[in-house]
Amino acid sequence: MDEITTVFVTESREQLAAMEAALLELENSPGDSDTLNAIFRSAHTIKGGAGVVECDFIVAFTHVVENALDKLRNGEIAVDGDLVAVLLACSDHINALLDVLESGMPAPAADLQADGNALLDRLQRGWLSGEGKQSDDSTPPATSDGTVESSGGGVVETDCWHISLRFGQDVLRQGMDPLSFLRYLTSLGTIVRLETLADAMPAADDMDPEACYLGFEIHFASSADKAAIERVFDFVRDECTLHILPPRSRLADYVALIKALPEDPMRLGEILVRVGALTQAELDVGLAAQQATEAAATEETAAPPLGEILVEQQVVQPELVEAAVVKQKQVGEKKAAEARLIRIQADKLDALIDLVGELVIAGAGVNLLAARSGLAELTEATSVMSRLVESIRDSALQLRMVQIGETFNRFNRVVRDVSKELGKDIELVVSGAETELDKSVVEKIGDPLMHLVRNAIDHGIEPAEARAAAGKPERGRLSLNACHDSGSIVIEVADDGGGLNREKIARKAMERGLVPAGHTLSDQEVYNLIFEPGFSTADKVSNLSGRGVGMDVVKRNIQSLRGRVEVDSQPGEGTRFTIRLPLTLAIIDGFLVGAGSAGYVVPLDMVVECLELPPQAGDSHYLNLRGEVLPFIRLRDLFEIRGEQPVRENVVVVKAAGQKAGIVVDELLGEFQTVIKPLGHLFRNLRGIGGSTILGSGEVALILDVQALIHLAAHRDEPNAILNRS
Amino acid sequence: MGQIVARDNKPLAAAAAEAPQQYLTFTLNAEIFAIGILHIKEIIEYGSLTEIPMMPAFIRGVINLRGAVVPVIDLSARFGGRQTEIARRTCIVIVELVQTVEDGELRQDIGIMVDSVNEVLEIPATDVEPPPAFGSRIRTDFIRAMGKVEGRFVIILDLDRVLSVEEMAQLGATADASAPATDNAG
Repeated sequence: MDEITTVFVTESREQLAAMEAALLELENSPGDSDTLNAIFRSAHTIKGGAGVVECDFIVAFTHVVENALDKLRNGEIAVDGDLVAVLLACSDHINALLDVLESGMPAPAADLQADGNALLDRLQRGWLSGEGKQSDDSTPPATSDGTVESSGGGVVETDCWHISLRFGQDVLRQGMDPLSFLRYLTSLGTIVRLETLADAMPAADDMDPEACYLGFEIHFASSADKAAIERVFDFVRDECTLHILPPRSRLADYVALIKALPEDPMRLGEILVRVGALTQAELDVGLAAQQATEAAATEETAAPPLGEILVEQQVVQPELVEAAVVKQKQVGEKKAAEARLIRIQADKLDALIDLVGELVIAGAGVNLLAARSGLAELTEATSVMSRLVESIRDSALQLRMVQIGETFNRFNRVVRDVSKELGKDIELVVSGAETELDKSVVEKIGDPLMHLVRNAIDHGIEPAEARAAAGKPERGRLSLNACHDSGSIVIEVADDGGGLNREKIARKAMERGLVPAGHTLSDQEVYNLIFEPGFSTADKVSNLSGRGVGMDVVKRNIQSLRGRVEVDSQPGEGTRFTIRLPLTLAIIDGFLVGAGSAGYVVPLDMVVECLELPPQAGDSHYLNLRGEVLPFIRLRDLFEIRGEQPVRENVVVVKAAGQKAGIVVDELLGEFQTVIKPLGHLFRNLRGIGGSTILGSGEVALILDVQALIHLAAHRDEPNAILNRS
Repeated sequence: MGQIVARDNKPLAAAAAEAPQQYLTFTLNAEIFAIGILHIKEIIEYGSLTEIPMMPAFIRGVINLRGAVVPVIDLSARFGGRQTEIARRTCIVIVELVQTVEDGELRQDIGIMVDSVNEVLEIPATDVEPPPAFGSRIRTDFIRAMGKVEGRFVIILDLDRVLSVEEMAQLGATADASAPATDNAG
């Protein structure tokens, strides 16, 4: 696949994603012209691009879709659920066609082609037909037109290609036999009729016996595409004038053809009639329309001249002509977009990021030394430098980060389709879409998420009646949430359905011998059984999912990303899957504090304020913060840090999960941007510490997991309660 | 690395039949231990170490090894003794292990704290004896074999057992759960 095609495929995929999102939006707010325009633009860009890479099957298919969109945009047809469904299916089909293009096959496989035809057929019958000039038969994509309203008259009803061929005078001298091309042409189809034009033949005296004066008008029935027909004449391409009109071309195109050829228009017209390309009536209409257009020369924007040029140069198929102006603009826009995008290899980026990481640590070391030296000028210079280094690091890290929102938005479609199929009413609530994570992680998390989402819709959320009976709103709720949790990104897929059936899972597990009989398991252990290979409690297996089927795959996929997946469930209230992925590249703004000899980093977005610990706080575990009771924890106590307690202590007021708390530390060391380094498997059971980072001095500082710390502190006084819980 | 794994996975009998292996010997509480050198990445001086709270005593903390955060295990404490005291010759031996944990294969660098490193020596396969059934001061499953060096026995450690991440993490969790100020050990 060449580079242009690669770019085309990538960009078209993006366009399709945008189109799909817009279509879903359209369903909610029909008639929104901005959305409609966006959809149209996407389809149009794809078609234009497909024309550029000469991918005819995409052009042909997209063309019809675009027609429908155009009518939609012009208000000729109204938006309804069915139309959106068909258009969504069309966008899927275009995606499939892109796969075909990507795989390098010359044309889609028969079944795909049939799918496409069926879709077009639905579009034609449901929305496009009954619009005057259109033929209501379903035209196969490769030859589909028949819906375009042309500038110079209606559509010519013929199933055959029309080829106008004029051989150059030198053809014979170059040792090529014009007839052999015609013979070869028959390998692609059948020549229905052929007229030989000897008009260029001079008088006998002037005739050069070695020159070729012949031209041919050929009426050609074939299922081959234009490019294939053109290839027949590749050898004489430079030596001949070749015009190919696809079946059902517009009359205007024939007129343009007639004008483009050297012979007298009337004579040519007659020949065209004779070969069967046109009927006499059509010719008359065409020529009359042509004259009329010429008379109104002022208002010809997409009229013959432009068409002529395009047809002549064989840049595009004639169907594209009427869109040419828009297209040119689009191509221009696309070029600009290409210029803004650089695609580079991920390895190079990784190498850069590694280097920048080292640079940051080295820079921090320099800073430290400068501060110790006490030279004001040196300190100033290094602080400028470190600011620059930090900006470099930020930009470098941002290069790999993408927002997860795009991945989440894909699920709008999934939820819509699957819930429709199952007859459930489900809303998807997305939060934390702006959470960024590494591109490679985003790519790989899609499949596991898809599985969880489908599972939740199929099995998690009960049918409306069951929900109503349980006193829940009929509309099910599925939520996707993402957030950074120091050192990891946490993605939650939660539904408000019936929850996991603990008894059933336990029973199945015993039956399958996964757990020895009579063994008591904690809830958590029972729920985690659903990740066992082949484990399913579903009584019936639907075509969507059977809860448990494939959950082991989900787990494996997530583990291959060095992540973890956990499930939590409340009977009658729903199920929540928590995927925790390491985010080695994540940077957080941290607030560095000191306790004992060690440094700790509190994620800055959790810090509310800092204050000195009032001496009267004493041994109590709360203080008075402007009239508010603020519980606090001493890091020294919690972490059992040895050493002398300083005279003055400070409180960092943090807020996590809506709860405010204070963390008492020795020193406040200030803001600090940190590259999170996960602590590794050995510390996976450690709560309260989310990761680590390397300070400028080369020392390792621990990143506090504030939420877990508060949790730890909150339950410190009630150990029994915890034991019961876990 | 593949070579190391292959060798480690072989039964002892097969390994014994092979050519003499090289071992690094080190001292811990005046006793000499040996580990196969193929595990070892480097040996560094004991430097600034960050303690990790709420962890069992044998997990001393983490160090920064050229940008990577590497956990350091106190072998003495791991063997059930007291914590190693830092002295002039205290070293951290960085070993690389590939272990099977619940989440699949895990490759990890781990530092082990020793009182001092002695030398690299070759112990012929004929001088390697199976571990005693009892009588040693450390857990028998930690012992891979006994090597005879100059008439003395040195304990050749089975690092995969000694530094089993899975087991140590479990121990960490238990230590965690037994402390009053914790939750969700399960």
